[in-house]
Amino acid sequence: MKKNYYLMSDGLLKRKENTLYFVNKDGKKPIPINKIYSIYAYGSLTFSSQSVHLLAKEGIPIHFFNYYGFYDGSFYPRETLLSGDLLVKQVEHYLNPGKRLWIAKKFIEGAAGNMEKVLGYYHVQNGIGKTVKDLTLSSNVTEAMNVEARMRSEYYSKMDEILPDGFKMEGRSRRPPENMVNALISFGNSMVYSTVISEIYNTQLNPTISYLHEPFERRYSLALDLSEMFKPILVDRLIFYMVNKRMLTEDDFEQKVDYCILNDGGRKKFIKEYDERLKKTIKHRELNRKVSYRRLIRLEAYKLIKHILGTQEYKPFVMWW
Amino acid sequence: MLSNSEKHLQVRGTEINYYFICKTKLWLFSHNIQMEQESESVSMGKQLHKKSYGREKKDFTIDNLISVDFIRRGETLELHEVKKSSKMEDAHRYQLLYYMYYLKKEKGIQNIIGFIDYPKLRKKEKVELTESEEKSLEGIIEGIGQIVHGTISKPEKKKICRKCAYYEFCWV
Amino acid sequence: MYVIIVYDINVDRVNKVKSFLRTHLHWIQNSVFEGEVTKSEFEEIKDGLKDIINKDEDSVILYTMRSEKALKRKVLGVEKAPIGGIL
Repeated sequence: MKKNYYLMSDGLLKRKENTLYFVNKDGKKPIPINKIYSIYAYGSLTFSSQSVHLLAKEGIPIHFFNYYGFYDGSFYPRETLLSGDLLVKQVEHYLNPGKRLWIAKKFIEGAAGNMEKVLGYYHVQNGIGKTVKDLTLSSNVTEAMNVEARMRSEYYSKMDEILPDGFKMEGRSRRPPENMVNALISFGNSMVYSTVISEIYNTQLNPTISYLHEPFERRYSLALDLSEMFKPILVDRLIFYMVNKRMLTEDDFEQKVDYCILNDGGRKKFIKEYDERLKKTIKHRELNRKVSYRRLIRLEAYKLIKHILGTQEYKPFVMWW
Repeated sequence: MLSNSEKHLQVRGTEINYYFICKTKLWLFSHNIQMEQESESVSMGKQLHKKSYGREKKDFTIDNLISVDFIRRGETLELHEVKKSSKMEDAHRYQLLYYMYYLKKEKGIQNIIGFIDYPKLRKKEKVELTESEEKSLEGIIEGIGQIVHGTISKPEKKKICRKCAYYEFCWV
Repeated sequence: MYVIIVYDINVDRVNKVKSFLRTHLHWIQNSVFEGEVTKSEFEEIKDGLKDIINKDEDSVILYTMRSEKALKRKVLGVEKAPIGGIL
């Protein structure tokens, strides 16, 4: 029921009694506090401490993005879901090299499975399945990461077979993205990362203790771990869909000599579709009920908790439809 | 090692309730892996509690362990628990009996009677702490200790699972 | 479920009603709010309104439907407050 709010314009977040308002050049708009799941702030946002108190009380995170649309940081409200026992076990699975490697490999397998699904949907032959088999030879996380890198470059090289002319990727460029497809991937991946942070926030997992990524890489490295499995379905599929349907054109980008980013209009279009995708539901086979794509991320967190507690071995999420 | 009479009661009322409903839920709850915050049936329960018995003093919490829905003070102390349906009678009854037991043992309060109110069914059930009930409670408290200190048990799929706050967690 | 609330409230209390509804639903135009709610939230809204209004003077009507999909809406003239999470 709760939903994400995306603040695209510059503005002010303020509170009067228990009502939260977003004030921008178009006026003052109340946002129902009981309906907010997370806030994504893309414009420059000014906020009062009173509004932060209210968001903290309701446990609502804010994710901040910079001028280029890349993730800057989050307001992660004081945790109310704390479990010392789980934390100890979460750390134990990191400290034990065998246990850590086991989970790291599962995340890679999950990512590989979803990449294959995405390419398979467009009937693109690929060697991802073969590459990922090399994981059995990896005896530590660095080696597993190398397999992951090979698999990913195979994946990206196949993407151009799906993309229309004028929209080719020609290799992944990150900081900064050099063309439109790279701009979309970077922008989308930042969104997935933030979406995963919000899901982890709503569980007892600690977001900084991770298995595939090193806990010191970025603050919420567990969100990086879980993002890997969801990027193909939430971002890449969406890019293919929007680009092939001509929902995005050159006019939606800001192209400079050395970088390319989505402009305001492009961001709005992408976010609208992304949000639709999060809300989209599928029938979950084990649960025998409908769950949203966003909820799938939460379920992944639950499965990880169960693995850590030793009640059920973790099986990574791979699209089954 | 403290003898039983010197040891303070550490069990939360909810744990007594969960003991009758599901051992997995009890284990998770007592290890602070709680899922109630997003559950629609838990919010419905809270809402029911808020709107029934508006005039009474509500939410009477003691030592962070027990939380009675409301109390009435007269010659005797009346503890009231508000419940939606009488489906889980034993769970409700022992939760309330535990509150009475707790107040007696830890606070030295005598003359307590308990009531379980079912506003939707317009029904009220009286609960008394007899000696034999005390014995059963002591057994339950010991049983809870064993579950909580043991390893988590695999859930059993029951009809009530679908409405449980832990449903997705257990069955995904 | 989806709910549309329209009201006619004495000026002494109208601001209270408005600011209460703002925490749960979207303001559409004068004296109209709507939005998706869970059953428990719907109960909470009803009870909250009952606490504020004077039942001899004020009037609140709640229209509910199973989901937003069951609703067709058409705006003539100005749409004062478009619903949507992208601001």
